[in-house]
Amino acid sequence: MVALARKTLIYEWRRFLPAMLAVGFAGLLQLLQLALVLGIFGSTSVYITGSSADVWVGYPGTQNVGSGRTINPDVESRVLMDPAVQRVEPYIWVDGDWRGPHETGGISVFVSGIDPSPEGLMFSKALLPSLRERLAEPDAVIVDRSVLDQLGVNIGETATINGHQVTVVGISSGLRALGGVNVLTSLSTARELDGDPTDVGPTYLVAKLRDPKQADAVAARLRGDTAFGPYTTWSARDFARISVRYWMFDTGAGAGVLFLAGIVFLVGAVITSQTLIAAVNGSMREYATLNALGVGVAALRRVVLEQAFWVGALGLLGAGVLGIVLMLLAHSQDVPVVLNVPAALACIALVMGLAAVSGLAAMRSLRRADPASLLR
Amino acid sequence: MTHPATASQPTTPPALQAIGISKAFVSGKLHTQVLENFSLRIEAGELTLISGPSGCGKSTLLAILSGLQKVDGGRVLALGSELGQLDLRALERFRLQHTGFVFQGFNLFPALSAFEQVELPLNHMGLSRDEARARARRSLEEVGMAPRMKLRPSELSGGEKQRVAIARALAKEPELLFADEPTSALDAANGQMIIDILHRIAHAHGTTVLCVSHDPRVVVHADRVLAMEDGRILSDRRTHAPTNDSKGT
Ligand SMILES: Nc1ncnc2c1ncn2[C@@H]1O[C@H](COP(=O)(O)OP(=O)(O)OP(=O)(O)O)[C@@H](O)[C@H]1O
Ligand SMILES: [Mg+2]
Repeated sequence: MVALARKTLIYEWRRFLPAMLAVGFAGLLQLLQLALVLGIFGSTSVYITGSSADVWVGYPGTQNVGSGRTINPDVESRVLMDPAVQRVEPYIWVDGDWRGPHETGGISVFVSGIDPSPEGLMFSKALLPSLRERLAEPDAVIVDRSVLDQLGVNIGETATINGHQVTVVGISSGLRALGGVNVLTSLSTARELDGDPTDVGPTYLVAKLRDPKQADAVAARLRGDTAFGPYTTWSARDFARISVRYWMFDTGAGAGVLFLAGIVFLVGAVITSQTLIAAVNGSMREYATLNALGVGVAALRRVVLEQAFWVGALGLLGAGVLGIVLMLLAHSQDVPVVLNVPAALACIALVMGLAAVSGLAAMRSLRRADPASLLR
Repeated sequence: MTHPATASQPTTPPALQAIGISKAFVSGKLHTQVLENFSLRIEAGELTLISGPSGCGKSTLLAILSGLQKVDGGRVLALGSELGQLDLRALERFRLQHTGFVFQGFNLFPALSAFEQVELPLNHMGLSRDEARARARRSLEEVGMAPRMKLRPSELSGGEKQRVAIARALAKEPELLFADEPTSALDAANGQMIIDILHRIAHAHGTTVLCVSHDPRVVVHADRVLAMEDGRILSDRRTHAPTNDSKGT
């Protein structure tokens, strides 16, 4: 067989370039949007994913880490009684008002009171032990590199949270928050920062299990005991999922993302199909001649579809290369971007879907390949 | 001149026959009746020429006889099949098996070499790869394009392109070959060569060649010349072309 589709694509690549660019940019846009969304909303569960706790205990109905309420501190002994539990520690969340040494105005911060000991579970994956150690000093706090400008501080400087003086002893990275700024401190400092005298217990208790695979079973087993007042349990994975879902869907951000994705698809499909139709129209007289010679419209359609496939594949390749470069750039600038396999697959599916839709549209234009029109 | 030929015809069935066909085009309010109650027989193995003023319906007639266009009324018989009764698929199959076309524009794919242009339609005829290539080579040799068969259209002259287009039609080994103004985009020498090839095809392969042309040089080579005007045949002449085989035997 003469490979008409591929030979035409190679020889007349200039005619197909606009379609490839359209597909590629639509794919790139979608990819970066998805990576940003995953990065930003993934950061809402960094408290869970950055820690090595397997089971979380908190107030019933809590929808995301930031909206927890205190629970009875005695729950800790109840959790420790379970033979599967290896370690339990409290985690205190305090909403604070930050006043920096420079003129920055009030900034709302999320204070995380954690156990600064080397075995501490909270943020064990996000903090180096040496950094964590420094929190043992009274009134010591760690802030994220990405918010230094926003907070108007640097290492060694002091500021106040809820009117209480604190000192920045370290700088972390990758602990961005949504709607505020994360500040890490020790449990005891966090208690002092909490202005509400009715808060007696921790916001959460986090537990490490001897066998992390049992998280779901242990969480289920610890639930439902009312002797210590209201509390409930989640496996870390479930709680992270609940938290991300809350931000994605209950805040309307997810709907916005889906809406934008739809727009990108629509615009991409329109532009791609128009450019592909133009490219196919360029060969219309030749197609009509083949049809006059008896080559069926079905065979001609296959040629157009094959071209659409290659346009999609090459567009994808371009988008992939450019996407990786841009993601690396984003990482170096502390822009939260995350890409996982399902997201990448979704982008591939989108791009090939775009190419297919455009190919079908271009195929329809083959109806104009009326061989009788050659005889005029 | 018309007598001796018409007397010997009725024994062999015609390659093409139009019986009382009519064709009109309607574009907006304009109604153009191109053909009305038009009948014609085209004999097998001859080079038949249709000439006439612009807009008289020559191309329309060619499109109808070759199964590219439907008639409004009447019947068209091609190689014994009634084209009006074939659906789109069957018409495509009929054209694939029995017809070749040469157009005024050469309509070659810019990306393909001369050899591939000729091979491409053969791929769709169910021929084996080797058979398709052998046929492609043979027909390119026949039009004298074998030495240049690796070249793309952009590297060929107009006459060479038209010879490739003829080879593309010829390689299918069709019984019917239709040509619409095949020489009008070419200079005198190239036009002459195309006419010679068409004439040779009719006589060497027994192909029925129906050609529309204004070109007076074609008139000399044609076995039969039909002069058309306003959708009617004005005159029907049989000529003795200089290289007519039947004359010598
Ligand atoms: N698709 C169409 N729609 C409307 N009118 C048409 C169409 N095709 C042909 N016609 C009309 O039919 C008439 C005959 O057209 P045709 O192409 O057969 O002429 P022709 O004899 O081949 O002329 P020329 O020598 O200029 O090629 C013309 O008046 C033309 O305007
Ligand atoms: Mg014409």
